[in-house]
Amino acid sequence: MNPIRKRRVFSILFVLLFSVSGISLILYSLNSNLDYFFTPTELKDRNIPSEKRIKVGGMVLSGSVERASSKISFIITDYENSVKVVYEGIVPDLFKEDSGVVVLGVLRNKTIYAEEVLAKHDENYMPPNIEMNNDN
Amino acid sequence: MNILLKLIVLIVPAIFIFLFFIILTNEDVYPGADYDQFELPDFELKDLDDSKRISIDFIEGDYVLNVWASWCITCIVEHPYLMNLSKTGVPVIGLNYKDEKQDAIVWLKKYGNPYQTILHDYKGNLALDLGVTGAPETFLINNGEIVAHYQGEVNDRIWNDVFMPIIKDREMF
Amino acid sequence: MIIEISHFLSILATGLFFLVGYFSIFTPSSNSSYLSSLITRTYSQGFFFLFFSFLIYVWLAITDNFNVEYIANHSNTALPTFYKITSIWSAHEGSMFLWIVFLSLWGFIFNIRVNNNEILKPKSMGIISFILVGFLVFLLATSNPFVTILPIPPLNGADINPVLQDPALAIHPPTLYLGYVGFVIPFACAIAFLLHGDAEINWEALVKKWSVSAWVFLTIGITLGSWWAYYELGWGGYWFWDPVENVALMPWLAATAFIHSLGVSIKSSQLRIWTILLSILVFSLSLFGAFIVRSGIIDSVHSFANDPDRGLYLLGFIGLIVFISVFLFVWRLSSIKSSSVIKKFSKQSFISINNILFGTLIFSVMLGVTYPLIYEFLFDQKISVGAPFYNAIFIPVVVLASIFLFFSVDSKWSRSINFEFFTAPIFLSAVLSLALTFFVMQFFNTQSISILASIFAGSLIIFRYIYEIINFLFKKKYVNPFSVIAHMSLGLLLVSISFNSLLSTERALSIDINSTEEYKDLKIFFEDIGVENNSNYDSIQASFLVEDQNGRAFNLKPEKRRYFTRGQITTETAIHVTALRDIYITIGDQLDDGSWVVNVQINYLIRWIWFSALLMGFAGIILVFSNRAKA
Repeated sequence: MNPIRKRRVFSILFVLLFSVSGISLILYSLNSNLDYFFTPTELKDRNIPSEKRIKVGGMVLSGSVERASSKISFIITDYENSVKVVYEGIVPDLFKEDSGVVVLGVLRNKTIYAEEVLAKHDENYMPPNIEMNNDN
Repeated sequence: MNILLKLIVLIVPAIFIFLFFIILTNEDVYPGADYDQFELPDFELKDLDDSKRISIDFIEGDYVLNVWASWCITCIVEHPYLMNLSKTGVPVIGLNYKDEKQDAIVWLKKYGNPYQTILHDYKGNLALDLGVTGAPETFLINNGEIVAHYQGEVNDRIWNDVFMPIIKDREMF
Repeated sequence: MIIEISHFLSILATGLFFLVGYFSIFTPSSNSSYLSSLITRTYSQGFFFLFFSFLIYVWLAITDNFNVEYIANHSNTALPTFYKITSIWSAHEGSMFLWIVFLSLWGFIFNIRVNNNEILKPKSMGIISFILVGFLVFLLATSNPFVTILPIPPLNGADINPVLQDPALAIHPPTLYLGYVGFVIPFACAIAFLLHGDAEINWEALVKKWSVSAWVFLTIGITLGSWWAYYELGWGGYWFWDPVENVALMPWLAATAFIHSLGVSIKSSQLRIWTILLSILVFSLSLFGAFIVRSGIIDSVHSFANDPDRGLYLLGFIGLIVFISVFLFVWRLSSIKSSSVIKKFSKQSFISINNILFGTLIFSVMLGVTYPLIYEFLFDQKISVGAPFYNAIFIPVVVLASIFLFFSVDSKWSRSINFEFFTAPIFLSAVLSLALTFFVMQFFNTQSISILASIFAGSLIIFRYIYEIINFLFKKKYVNPFSVIAHMSLGLLLVSISFNSLLSTERALSIDINSTEEYKDLKIFFEDIGVENNSNYDSIQASFLVEDQNGRAFNLKPEKRRYFTRGQITTETAIHVTALRDIYITIGDQLDDGSWVVNVQINYLIRWIWFSALLMGFAGIILVFSNRAKA
């Protein structure tokens, strides 16, 4: 191989190597940062490592909402299985018993410690993610 | 090097467009439609006209339940289609949603009444149980069971594409 | 009826634009002066028809003409005139109409500002016209805003979504649209350049100011959107990585890379292939944004109601545009002479690296937007991509880009200078930034590498450019004001974002009426809560007297509103703004013991984030209005 061709081959190899490793890095970080969405039944069926961020959606079981100072706890159900949620903060305006909700949080001892509680939308207005996750 | 570049610029957009095409043409053709089947929930509501109480057992057989309100503009647009539908013999029951009684009656005088019976759901309780998010929404009910639900305006196309297959399948009406 | 006139004018405009497109592209001698003046005049007529059609539409909206279904659905007699006008772009049909009018407006300004002798002009106008035809057909066939309600129109119109009655929301979509569609100019010129196939034509110089103008609108539009989300949605953040925010961010990133690359191509005819590719990418991503928002493929705060035909039509049309451009690009690739090898440590070399880094960011955002769709399709499992992913990509890449930017200040165009790492400015800014970072680490007691790295990178840029400014003031060394201001605002943005995420805190408190709670340095006294009745809503308004550590006291009155017609509930935040921080309060529910849940956020430097972004846009305005940059 003459020097020019050799250089060209090297540069192509370099570009390929560089982009492949870049893309794999991006995909790796994508994979480790995904939030999976589960219903309470799916939650029961699968093994979910604690401290992994997950989303859980279902209905707020009527009579399950308990408030203590700024903490709120309630049970999400899909009418087959249910899971308890603990959250500190203000729940959205549309949050109420017997209505749809999605929480984002981590699972510890069969309880979800939520960082975010989203209520199913009313009318045209919807917070991000809700529609998509509430269709099941 | 140039060939590599050419391949990349041709293939990358092709992949994206192909993917979106598949996703768009996949099942959820009508995003407003769903086919979850469930029993009609228990209810007891007043009739809009004479305020007699109507419970779940009052209406039997197959019918279309249309959620509407006088404040809903799309309902006006949808209205002529419902008038035609009821003329062809399909029983249409109205669910007047979060509306003042007087407004609703005036509205019906103005645009005509396609409904056999109208349930007055002032607080939206039945609507909530049905999973209504706004108006208009339309349910197809087969012997006390909800078999199709559409959010948005029903027209000829929606009727034929969303409801007709179910109606034929179940040999309704 | 008047609406039919408006409708007819739009159809007429479509026909004229089609003629312009046909004659400019398919007539061999499109450079003859007769033909090019014909093209110019016909385009202008088409634009006037479309513009009048829109004006009539606006007038119909102001005068509550509820014969028009769209207006009846989105406006109300009780609305102030301003919101009657803005209601036009509150939903799909009307906003698409505005989008197209803006597209034709850019074409019109280009048409009158650029001389007919410009060799690329006729074909560029033709491309713009064909794009207009495509979108007008889309509008008229699948999302017609001119449909009427017969026989009896409703009296008062609809009760429009109160969330949409907001000044920032009224102006941020138009600003964004102006940004998106503005990139049609560089795109059309790049395609015209490829059609001509003459590498000597300097299309890059022609489009520079147009591209920067569109970039300015995009920058300001994104900033306004971020500000709106902050105070209206009541979550207190400035960026949520919502899919619709992401599809605005992608063209912005691509446009930023494009403007850099454009500079190089004008200066030294290098990176020309990159520049063309980027011009195609920017416009494609802008169209992709329109597709994502309007096809209903993604649900979001912003997405419009959907109809499967719309998505397919848009996908088909956008696909056509992208493929024609890509085929032209591939066909002409070998004839685009991109001169000579780029020298090490020249400005060009830094900008090439910048292109690659921006490409990485765009690719990552694209992946974040599309991956959940693909994943759900393949595995029937719903997933979402949240902030952690974007942070994992953006922080290292932006820090890296900032460090390259820092070294690039010393580099020269086309020269590989003997790179000295220990010059005074580099050494000085590095030491100052390290000192600042170390101070932050000790004083705020933080170990977070991403925050410290961002503060370091941001302050590096700021100090380096301050040195340049001092040089300019005292030694009259030339600086490019656009570059200095834009890059300093990037530094400021990085530092503000870092401090914001380092210092901002929030807490939900439960407070009784007439009692005081303390949070951080704040004493929050709950004065009163009461119901107020308004014309179309009731509100619960709370009143708090907040006192900070310096004894300054102020009143904050957050509200919860319930609108009559549909019983919709909205939260109105109360924000106390100071130079360094916002105190942001929302009220939640009443507890059984009678106390109320109150969310208190202290958001540091959040105003600085928007200020930096606006400053960046302002830098662009300087470039557009300076004479020097005219090549």
